[in-house]
Amino acid sequence: MRRGILAFVTLGTLLVSGGAWAVLNPDVQMLVDKYRLEADVKSFSAEDGKRFFATKRKHSKGEERSCSTCHTNDPRQKGKTVVGKVIEPMAQSVNKERFTDPKKVEKWFKRNCEWVLERECTPKEKGDFITFMTTM
Amino acid sequence: MKTNRIHRTLFAAVLGLTLSAGASAYADRGEREHEDHGRYKAVENQTYKQECSACHYLYLPGLLPARSWEALIKGSDKHFGENLALDEKTSSEISGFLNANSAEKTNTEWSNKIMKSVGSATPERIMDVPWIIKEHRKVKNAFKRPSVGSASNCGACHTRGQEGDFEAVKVPK
Repeated sequence: MRRGILAFVTLGTLLVSGGAWAVLNPDVQMLVDKYRLEADVKSFSAEDGKRFFATKRKHSKGEERSCSTCHTNDPRQKGKTVVGKVIEPMAQSVNKERFTDPKKVEKWFKRNCEWVLERECTPKEKGDFITFMTTM
Repeated sequence: MKTNRIHRTLFAAVLGLTLSAGASAYADRGEREHEDHGRYKAVENQTYKQECSACHYLYLPGLLPARSWEALIKGSDKHFGENLALDEKTSSEISGFLNANSAEKTNTEWSNKIMKSVGSATPERIMDVPWIIKEHRKVKNAFKRPSVGSASNCGACHTRGQEGDFEAVKVPK
């Protein structure tokens, strides 16, 4: 009985403090750990990730671009590529396949960071982004 | 009673004949369509599918000459303004698949028309192939409709295009 209560309380604590409670598979966890070492931070911030996702930047081609240009303002929704192809949601809570394959994660950071920022993303930006996408 | 049985046998025979004649006519038509219009094989290569159709329509390799695909792969770090970040293994697999199934390798009527109209050019868009432009001259205005988006969205009208059949067309309003 006592143990039952303890388990319940623990679970409750986890859920309440669950803002940044992501369950990553070991491969992706290793990638995030690598980013953390490179970024020299204790932990990543879902809040910073959220801001990064929504920030619009002026591209040298003239238009404004952000992650949300294609993924919409809500990562739980489906997005659209520039030529109109549907993109499945980014948030892991609605799309379990997201952030499960480190190679895929790295490839898309390379493709899309260049498209939005015209440079690679920093380890801090990548870690915050993954944290945001896997905890929302 | 006996007449009844004869009737039944006759009926079954006639029905059987009609059905088999119908079936063979259907098969003939299917066969002829295949030869006449040069349908393509649906894409089976998973790497090509994954890497390329995540962003756009899964273009059939038989719609461009091999040299066009080669140019596209070579310039994949500047692919219409995007760096595709393909690693060597991935790009060589995709390149091999596109090359083996390009317009000159798929000897269909369409492929031959494409090759003939392209001449010595190296188009990097399917909509830059003169014969394909000509085939679309009557539906040019439909490309801008929100339901279509752009000329790169083949599937909006070619409802069975991904299966290799570009004959079935339904232009959305």
